[in-house]
Amino acid sequence: MSLKQIFESHPERRYIMFGGKGGLGKTTFSAATAYWLASQGKRVLVFSVDPQASLTDIFQMDIFGKGAVKIMDNLWAQEIDADKHIKQYQNEIRQKILDMYGLDQVPDEIEQYIQAASAEPAMEESAIFDAVVDIVVEGNYDYYIYDLVPLGHALYYLSMGKVYDEWINKITQLREEMREYEEMVSRLKREKETEEDAILTELQYIRSRINASSRILTDREKTAFFFVIIPEEMILLDTQKAAGLFAKFDVPISGYVVNRVVPQELMDQEIPAYLRNRIEMQGRYMTEIQQMFGKDVAAYVPELERDVTGLPMIEKLAKIMYGE
Amino acid sequence: MSPDAFQPPKKSFFQNLKEVMYGMASHDMSRYALRTRASMEHLFILITMGDMIGIPILPPYYSLRLLPYVVPQISTWKRRLLREKDVSDAMF
Repeated sequence: MSLKQIFESHPERRYIMFGGKGGLGKTTFSAATAYWLASQGKRVLVFSVDPQASLTDIFQMDIFGKGAVKIMDNLWAQEIDADKHIKQYQNEIRQKILDMYGLDQVPDEIEQYIQAASAEPAMEESAIFDAVVDIVVEGNYDYYIYDLVPLGHALYYLSMGKVYDEWINKITQLREEMREYEEMVSRLKREKETEEDAILTELQYIRSRINASSRILTDREKTAFFFVIIPEEMILLDTQKAAGLFAKFDVPISGYVVNRVVPQELMDQEIPAYLRNRIEMQGRYMTEIQQMFGKDVAAYVPELERDVTGLPMIEKLAKIMYGE
Repeated sequence: MSPDAFQPPKKSFFQNLKEVMYGMASHDMSRYALRTRASMEHLFILITMGDMIGIPILPPYYSLRLLPYVVPQISTWKRRLLREKDVSDAMF
């Protein structure tokens, strides 16, 4: 099935993701797909979950940390500024402590913890993860296109949902057990109802946030995940491995898009041996791709004469990908 | 502890009986339950804020949300944790 057919026969798949190793064209395909869907009259948001996002570069527009920025009719793009998000979040926590205990200043010990926690490597990803929930839950757009992080990170991103979920389940359990003891004591003392456990409420809120995000990533009905590959051995091996892991996390893989294919027609022309060898090598891997992924290959995208930046090039690529 | 303590000393016979019965039968139980509850509270802070004493706990982003609620317990928690030989001692 071609990309166009996939989108037309599954209009309910609103969350579109392109994944793959770094530098193979995830951002490019995200932008082109967003462009095509927008030109079909759908409201589209393309956003980056990568701390080193490159939507700014491809649209040639500074959108970093500016919320959803309109690129053209029906098309918005967004890059999350993780640092800003973390700072805001820290301030909310500080303010809450000050309000709850009527303090003028956060105690040293606590302040140190807030700062140390924010320096953790997982913090940035978690902050983006959380920001994505805000974006997706609002539901203002027909399509959400995730410009994903490279494979290894994407797996981490996926597993984070599961890790969080288990962690939350454990502490919710403990919290509920604590509550039982509290209730037992008040029964023994014949006191009235114990007051509501604010922490339990907070835990339930956190769980709902995490579920909202990981549900989308693994929703067979509403999500389409495409792997970007190129005809080279290392990429194929890695992608096969990753596809297995992704399947384990129940990510619905909708197809593969092969990028950087040097046109076979060039073989009929006078071309240097260097190019001839490359085309032959690609030919071998193309057969392998057909054996490995067969019908699941949704598109073959040729190596273009220049890199894809700016709307005219994105339009050109969209026409190639969606065959118009 | 009991709200009765703040009321005028005029108590009915049944009131007195009730308190005596409570003292005989369930005071120990509730004291024990409260102790267990406190131990669990400390265990809870450990698995959410373990980073504070150098035990890396995933994931820090959401544990910050819980921080405001445990601020008053932090110092007793640390004191207790450093006193115990093993965290699980507190449980049993």
